[in-house]
Amino acid sequence: MSGAGKTEHLRLGFMETMEVDGRGHIGGLLITNQNGRPLEFQCTTPVKPNRTQEILFGESLRAWLLGELIGSTLLDRVAIKPNIIITSDPNLLELRNHTSIPVACAADAKSKVAEQGGTLRLGSSILRFHGSHEVDAELLSQQKHLIPDSANLAEPLERVREALAETVKTVFAR
Amino acid sequence: MSDFEFDHATANAPDVIDPALIREAKRGTRVDIAQIGFNPALGRLPTIETQTVSLNTVLDFVPSWTARRIPIKCIGLTLPEGMEFLPPKTDTTKSSDGVELKRIGPPKKDVNEAGGGEKPRKVTRIKPPLDALSLQDRLFYLLQPPLESWLAEQELIMPFEPFGYQYEGIAWLFSSHSALLADEMGLGKTMQTITAIRLLLRSGQARRIVLICPKPLIPNWQREFKTWAEELPVVTVEGNGQRRRMLWTMPGIPILIANYESMARDIAEIPEDEQPKFDLLVLDEAQRIKNRDSRTAEAARSIRRRRSWALTGTPIENRPEELAALFEFLEVIPKAASPDLRQLSKLAKKYILRRTKDLVMKDMPPRIDRDAELELTDAQELAYRTAEKEGIIQLNDMGDTITVQHVFELVLRLKQITNFDPLTGESAKLERLMADMEEIGASGGKAILFSQWTKTIDWLAPKLKEFNPLIYHGGVPTKKREPILAKFKEDPNAHILLMSYGTGAVGLNLQFAGYVFLFDRWWNPAIEDQAINRAHRIGVKNPVIVTRFISKNTIEERIDRVLREKRELFAAILGDGDNNNVSLGLNATEIFGLFDLKARHKGGSKSIGPKPVEQSTDAA
Repeated sequence: MSGAGKTEHLRLGFMETMEVDGRGHIGGLLITNQNGRPLEFQCTTPVKPNRTQEILFGESLRAWLLGELIGSTLLDRVAIKPNIIITSDPNLLELRNHTSIPVACAADAKSKVAEQGGTLRLGSSILRFHGSHEVDAELLSQQKHLIPDSANLAEPLERVREALAETVKTVFAR
Repeated sequence: MSDFEFDHATANAPDVIDPALIREAKRGTRVDIAQIGFNPALGRLPTIETQTVSLNTVLDFVPSWTARRIPIKCIGLTLPEGMEFLPPKTDTTKSSDGVELKRIGPPKKDVNEAGGGEKPRKVTRIKPPLDALSLQDRLFYLLQPPLESWLAEQELIMPFEPFGYQYEGIAWLFSSHSALLADEMGLGKTMQTITAIRLLLRSGQARRIVLICPKPLIPNWQREFKTWAEELPVVTVEGNGQRRRMLWTMPGIPILIANYESMARDIAEIPEDEQPKFDLLVLDEAQRIKNRDSRTAEAARSIRRRRSWALTGTPIENRPEELAALFEFLEVIPKAASPDLRQLSKLAKKYILRRTKDLVMKDMPPRIDRDAELELTDAQELAYRTAEKEGIIQLNDMGDTITVQHVFELVLRLKQITNFDPLTGESAKLERLMADMEEIGASGGKAILFSQWTKTIDWLAPKLKEFNPLIYHGGVPTKKREPILAKFKEDPNAHILLMSYGTGAVGLNLQFAGYVFLFDRWWNPAIEDQAINRAHRIGVKNPVIVTRFISKNTIEERIDRVLREKRELFAAILGDGDNNNVSLGLNATEIFGLFDLKARHKGGSKSIGPKPVEQSTDAA
């Protein structure tokens, strides 16, 4: 049985990270269709930087660890590549420097981010893009119509956090 | 040198110089030191030799570091691809029994009137089932979107917004492999089940589902599927044996509906290696398998399936063992196990979801119960007392040969007399009914009357002619039943529908009727409640007035007392009541007890009855 003849699809990626006590950080990436239906999920094992990395990366440690290291790994691993990656952590915007896929940080529509440049309203959220890739906002606005106005793009991030917590509880806490 | 002239030669002089002279020198006093002996040698410049050291030395250890990616392992989950169906053909407004339907768009944000701002919408998340052990299984449920947004998707639109408790019920069913949905009648078990089925199919969790229901309810399920999931293909098992067998075994039918009789007969005839396997088996009115040893119950348990759901508003009609039969079907207790009340209560908390109207429908118009206690007419009184006296004498004369069937026959005879006197046709109940119906008819209202006997219904119909009565009981062919219900709803002159408990008590939506009469009493309160809830259910706009006719000083009063005790049994197992003091249902002992008789045993007499007393004599 076929669908309703729709040809335009938008695959959304939702990425979050979480710190596991004493074991470093884990990250999760959920791929959904434009209606938020889950298609694929990947999460990493915990990653902990060593002392040398802590010293040498200094203030850029989190961006490197979360954005480049964990983010790139997750993106490499998913079979369904997203059209955009949405996160709530500005550190993950660093991922955009290592991929051609737009990466955006979701903020509430009422937040001050909404007043800044390089942003795009998608569903009920405001998306802020990487400072060096603000053109992403324009590119993505062409597919904006595929997302219902009522869509809450912060909600799937909550699912990712829950899934990460469940993974930690089930696997890594043993 | 200005104040302190102290040349290099004197500075390098040996310490034979008197320290007092040095102190004088520091005070700025000019001192002449005589150069005597080896002192001239002191004046010669020292010879300095230099040595060349190469800086181009290779060190033994140089720490180096290159930023390399740390290898990271991943855990992945690909969610099953769901089924896609052709979209509904029309977008028109339509109606189901008693409920006007309209298509809704995606849920709109609630507006906070006071602040004018938006308030967050309540969402229902699907939780992983307690028995889901693997991480992948648990993540599957956790990653599903909130039910509200899932159902508001453009291709999964609903005819109207479900209530919050219904969302919870749908989420619970969706994630349950063994589930007994025991919501009180009228709260939408059908809609919750259909929606959960729809989501299972859509998410690829199920591809082949069978739903078993009583035969009269098949049109009802077909209609409800069309209303709530118009896009889902539903096939009914019917026709001759060959066709039925083909339908049972044909793969690729997402939803199959069959009646209990067909299931019991057909499944047994299909060879072992051709037995169909389903992703989900749903039993509607699941109390039909309360007898674990019945052919129907055995057939239901024998069907191969991955998930088992049971739907009933009355998980216990008489005995707690009936609940055990349902748990056995759900495969949560071993075969033929006999859990005690404490264990049943524990299982109930885990596998039963039961909501009552009082709990969830606070805004629903109330159901007003009133007992009409009536004096028998003179003719009825005479007939009743005579029959009772003769009956009891007869029973006593039977001695040890008396059986519960003999007592039961007397009960039935007396109950019939309380309905009307067979000789004269006098009836206190009819008099009261006519009085009430005149008022109801004049106000354009509609009433449903229930009786145990088709004979009583047929007797009542001509007497209620002015109210255009409609008859709906087991004697009416199935095909003619739906038009009767439609006429009752649509014809403003049809004021009363006469129904039998057996045929009319389950599954029908008659919420436009504001009055219910229980002309005589059924044997257990669950069936009575089911009957009443035909009218008092979702969609009802006005209070429903329920009138129970009870003839004073008759067997009906005694039955009423037993029924009240049965209600306590319900509360004890399904509620938080004290499970140690439940009374059992209307068993043989209690039927004897209705006449203060005692059951006969080989070894003598045993005291019996609703309230056992210490007696050792024969019947009163």
